[in-house]
Amino acid sequence: MEFNVCNKSRKDQPFKQACEQVLEELNCDFVGLALQNSNGPDVSWHYAAGNRNDKYKRITVRYGKGIAGKVISTGRPMGIEDFPNNILGKALEYPIMLAENLSYAFAVPIQFKGVLKGVLLVGNRTKQPISESDQHTILDAAKRLEKELNSSI
Amino acid sequence: MNTQPLKKNISSYIIQTHEEEIKRIAMELHEGVGQSLYSLFTGMQLIEKAIEQPAMKSYAGDMNQLLEKTIQEIRLLAVELHPPTLTTLGLISAMKSYIKLYTSTYGIEVEVENLGVESQISDRDSITLFRVCQEALVNIARYADTMKASIIFKWKKSRLLIMIKDSGKGFEVETAMNKSSGLAAMSERMHLIGGKCTIFSKIDKGTSIEISLPLY
Repeated sequence: MEFNVCNKSRKDQPFKQACEQVLEELNCDFVGLALQNSNGPDVSWHYAAGNRNDKYKRITVRYGKGIAGKVISTGRPMGIEDFPNNILGKALEYPIMLAENLSYAFAVPIQFKGVLKGVLLVGNRTKQPISESDQHTILDAAKRLEKELNSSI
Repeated sequence: MNTQPLKKNISSYIIQTHEEEIKRIAMELHEGVGQSLYSLFTGMQLIEKAIEQPAMKSYAGDMNQLLEKTIQEIRLLAVELHPPTLTTLGLISAMKSYIKLYTSTYGIEVEVENLGVESQISDRDSITLFRVCQEALVNIARYADTMKASIIFKWKKSRLLIMIKDSGKGFEVETAMNKSSGLAAMSERMHLIGGKCTIFSKIDKGTSIEISLPLY
């Protein structure tokens, strides 16, 4: 049992570090990594940096719902500006934005062996939009994470 | 001429019709569309087994997975619209089931306490209580900025008391009541079934909502 715990935290390390690296690189408020569950289509937030609480650990969204579920189902990046204003649907459909009190977010898909399996989200709590160059940095970070994922599992 | 009783009857009628329609759609999704899709799914599984050509077998497998996902979506949508356990197992069971979903959606832990013996209440009363509690919890997720909340059910001989508390941001009750139709609707819904909904809140001190309903 102890071995498994140690093994798991060792496996987690690169993902945690990757989130912290993006947080530092972009000087943003929050970075989160969501992965699709191995036993079903639901998507859960597994790793975060800059988080204000541990709510993200309990949040699971259905495939196609929430930011993570939408990004995985469409396979395309998604941006949110000035939350909760001008959003598609209700604010309650964006639990991670509510949990972390984010105003701006940009989320990109992450592939595992050619299949969409995760989402990297970067967010700001202030009225600081995520610039186009930041979006490129997030896409690069997602590519790095894809490599980590593919080599670790 | 006093038009208040007439207004109360109209509001009550509108809410009840709305709830009945939601229940009908939920039932239709679960029993109608859901069942038809399930029949399709079992048929497709048979077809998949019978196919020998690998490419077609894999295609049929993908279609089966999509069907399974759709069936699950339909079931969840039906439950979200109207909790089926409310009629069969009662308010406490329906609330516990909703809270489980609530925690996994918003990450907020809710402590549930049930004191006394649950009494039988009418469908109309139980759906109203469920909706008011649901609105209170949704408001916590939306505005309170907290990680924990609690809900206590006290079943007394002649009265049911429900207390929903959080230690979040809090708000000015009077200003919020004038601004938010959700808070006003909670009080109005309870008033229509002969109950009461009282909201206490202070900025940075959290919020407490007390719901009471006479039991006959």
